[in-house]
Amino acid sequence: MAGITIRGLSKSFGARDTSFAAVADLDLDIKDNSFVTLLGPSGCGKTTTLRLIAGYIVPDSGTIEVDGRALSSPAAVVSPEARGMGMVFQNYAVWPHKTVFENVVFGLKLRRVPAAAAKKQVEETLALVNLAGLEGRYPNELSGGQQQRVALARSLVVEPSILLLDEPLSNLDAKLRERMRTELKDLQRRTGITFVYVTHDQAEALALSDHVAVMSGGRLQQYGTPFEVYAHPANRMVADFMGLVNLVPGKVREVANGGGKVELAGDLALDVRALDGLAPGDKVDVAIRPENIRLDAMAGTGARAKITNHVFLGNISEYYVTLASGQALRVQTHPLQHFKVGDEVAVEIDATQCSVFRHTSGDATAS
Amino acid sequence: MTTEAVSTTLRPALARPSLLARLKLEHVVMGGAIVALIVLVVLPLLWLLFGSVKGEQGLSFDHFSEVLSGRLYINALKNSLILGAWTALFSLVIGLVLAWAVSRTDVPAKPLIQLTATLSYLSPPFLTAIALTYLFSPNAGLINVLMRDVAGLPWLTFNVFSMPGLVLVTVMHTFPFVYLLASSALLSVDASYEEAAQILGASKLRTALSITAPLVAPAILSGTLLAFVNALALFGSQAIIGLPARIFTLPTRIYALFDYPPEYGLASALSLVLVLITVVALYLQRAFLARRSYVTLAGKGSRPQLMQLGPFRWVMLGLVIVIFIVSIGAPYATLIAVSFSKSWGLEFWKGLTLANYKFILFDYNVTQRAILNSLMLAFAAASIAVILGAVIGWIDLRTRIPGRKLLDYAALIPLGLPGIVVAVALIQFWLAMPIALYGTLAILLLAYVGRYIPLGVRAANSSLRQIDPSLEESAQILGASWATTMREITLPLIRPGLFAGWLLVFVPVIQELSASILLFSSSSITLAVAVYNLYETGYIEPVAALAMVNMAIIGAAIWLANRLGGGRIASRGEPAPVSA
Repeated sequence: MAGITIRGLSKSFGARDTSFAAVADLDLDIKDNSFVTLLGPSGCGKTTTLRLIAGYIVPDSGTIEVDGRALSSPAAVVSPEARGMGMVFQNYAVWPHKTVFENVVFGLKLRRVPAAAAKKQVEETLALVNLAGLEGRYPNELSGGQQQRVALARSLVVEPSILLLDEPLSNLDAKLRERMRTELKDLQRRTGITFVYVTHDQAEALALSDHVAVMSGGRLQQYGTPFEVYAHPANRMVADFMGLVNLVPGKVREVANGGGKVELAGDLALDVRALDGLAPGDKVDVAIRPENIRLDAMAGTGARAKITNHVFLGNISEYYVTLASGQALRVQTHPLQHFKVGDEVAVEIDATQCSVFRHTSGDATAS
Repeated sequence: MTTEAVSTTLRPALARPSLLARLKLEHVVMGGAIVALIVLVVLPLLWLLFGSVKGEQGLSFDHFSEVLSGRLYINALKNSLILGAWTALFSLVIGLVLAWAVSRTDVPAKPLIQLTATLSYLSPPFLTAIALTYLFSPNAGLINVLMRDVAGLPWLTFNVFSMPGLVLVTVMHTFPFVYLLASSALLSVDASYEEAAQILGASKLRTALSITAPLVAPAILSGTLLAFVNALALFGSQAIIGLPARIFTLPTRIYALFDYPPEYGLASALSLVLVLITVVALYLQRAFLARRSYVTLAGKGSRPQLMQLGPFRWVMLGLVIVIFIVSIGAPYATLIAVSFSKSWGLEFWKGLTLANYKFILFDYNVTQRAILNSLMLAFAAASIAVILGAVIGWIDLRTRIPGRKLLDYAALIPLGLPGIVVAVALIQFWLAMPIALYGTLAILLLAYVGRYIPLGVRAANSSLRQIDPSLEESAQILGASWATTMREITLPLIRPGLFAGWLLVFVPVIQELSASILLFSSSSITLAVAVYNLYETGYIEPVAALAMVNMAIIGAAIWLANRLGGGRIASRGEPAPVSA
């Protein structure tokens, strides 16, 4: 199996005067036998990164190495057919003029696997992706989910050391997407293949990955475990992109032992854990996840707030509340906790789960 | 009229008068279109069938047995098939190479390739044929004279009056069919199909052979068959090149059967042989094209990366320039040179003159009449074909009239009818009718509308398909009558499509020769026929001048078409099997 080392990778598109950097100065270490997701909004450079790893694109600068072997640099690029990787495309790219069997066996034929052995391998792989018995079908006779699994089987049957997946679930409906998610994760564990997975869906990234690389504007924003990027986002962009967050303006009141006290819009003071590089009096934005806010009907220790809206989502309840200062917050509670719109409640925030960023211009409302 | 009864009972009595009026107008318009189609296409075709089996007494297959055994006819059939096969082969090679270069490589001057294909497709083959005789006729052809007498290289001469000459002239007109279909197919193959093969370890060649080729093969085969069908039908080049070489083909043999006394039965039988070949080829073409569906399946994939040809790109560019010179540059430069020459020959540039143009435009009394006739006919034929097409398309897509599919098919029949066959059918039908149409402008108009109605129907069909029926229904629910709905909603929406269709008919009609050659009279002579007749009479220099006048009018029409129609003539996807 194989790990991937990316150093200083950059790629721009377009004419020299109108070019934009799709990927800028990217460093990334993808460990052998791991499931790594490149996550970000559209246009963040994640697909370009994947296509650079596959060798379809020549980098402007930087290198890509697999197990110490240089594959890509501006001077020389090992062509995709010589990389021994697998790739699953967003539109599956299942060849419409070949049957399921012919699609899957193609890579084995190229590797001159004897027909009998190839047939056995194809059947095993199709069974692995739950497509046994559909060998003779043409792609237009398959559902989207089945085509997706043909594409997967086609890549897996040649036992690549690295499998690249470009938003493979984005064309499936929600139920199927959820199931395929579990199957993919399971598959990765069983095969030990290094998966590099591109998606814009943060829930998918959290559910699947060992490590998530959050990208924006061609740059790596944060690289860590799903828990790290969710609970301890490196910056506002990551906090905002990974799930729901209230970004509330505030001011640092005191700093001690790396932690300190932050005053929120005049209503609340939070004892937060990390205030790196901040001094008393600095303006900050505090990222508060809706599930880290508790509401209490009793007059508790927290600040007072008024319920302005309620959305029932089944497994959770969402409340929109307004603090005395006018600051709005989005709160997620247990569905059995009931308040009416207009109720006065006490608000309590779990300060240990909040992240504090230096204030930058722009809006700082709940999102 | 069951539909009328049903819908009347469903409506409140109050609405009855306007409803009746609506049904009347609708039915008059639709009925008129159906009658027109029957008169234009169905009845002449029946007369053709009838004529082919009409013996001395009752029905007989004598004509067919003669056509299928007589040496003259077998030879013509053989020559037509040889011409078609070679033309298809060369069209395939040239069209495919150019299509590949444009869509997959970094060859320079891609617009030049596009321009060459477009001009070759639009330029009338009989003019190219005439131009080549000026260069390559065995004795007086300029290049032959140059090679034999000046350069002393007699083995470098080329006799254009031969099968290779005929194939050369024909290929110049037919390779764009392959080019257009192949390049659009190559461009629409999603890059990820090829990338998926590549990442599995397939080399470029392997990917091209096992992934790309099968995906685009239907479109390429379809283009090749269109080239074949067109090669068979082109009367002008086959007469100008083939007859001096004594190479008879089916169209020229049919034409010869109209020498006095006309042999209607044999001509009909021979026409049906030609129709049969054409229909089989077009059927195959449709079948292949239907399989093309999976090329367009691809979603929002990226375009394939262009192949870096390196120094080889200059070789490709050279090839493109050669093709441009042979198919467009040389023929038209020659026509221009001849038209300004006192006497065509090695030293033609010593006696440049405008006398040929003066003769053609002012002294030769045919020209002005021919120009007027051609313009009137093209204008009328295009308008009628498009109006009929719109009604037929509307019936097919928007009503539930039984037999509407049949109507649609009937409107497509002329695609399988070479021009000369249309003429043979029309002559027999109208000679049998009590109205004397033979030799009038009217019979030419009928021939043109009949031949090109498929283009009108197709234009209307594709525009109507893009308009959701709910747009018409929402006008109806607000109380608009059928006529109002048509006037306010449908027609304004399909007008751009219909206009494009109008131009697609206008351009070929103004250069039509295959049907006109049997139908014209001295009063109804058209421009293309005038050129052909003048050439036959042997006026070498004035022919070139008339050809240039002809080109100027066609060029003006196409220029106008591109200005008004937003370049649709040059950029439609599937070329129609239409020939001059």
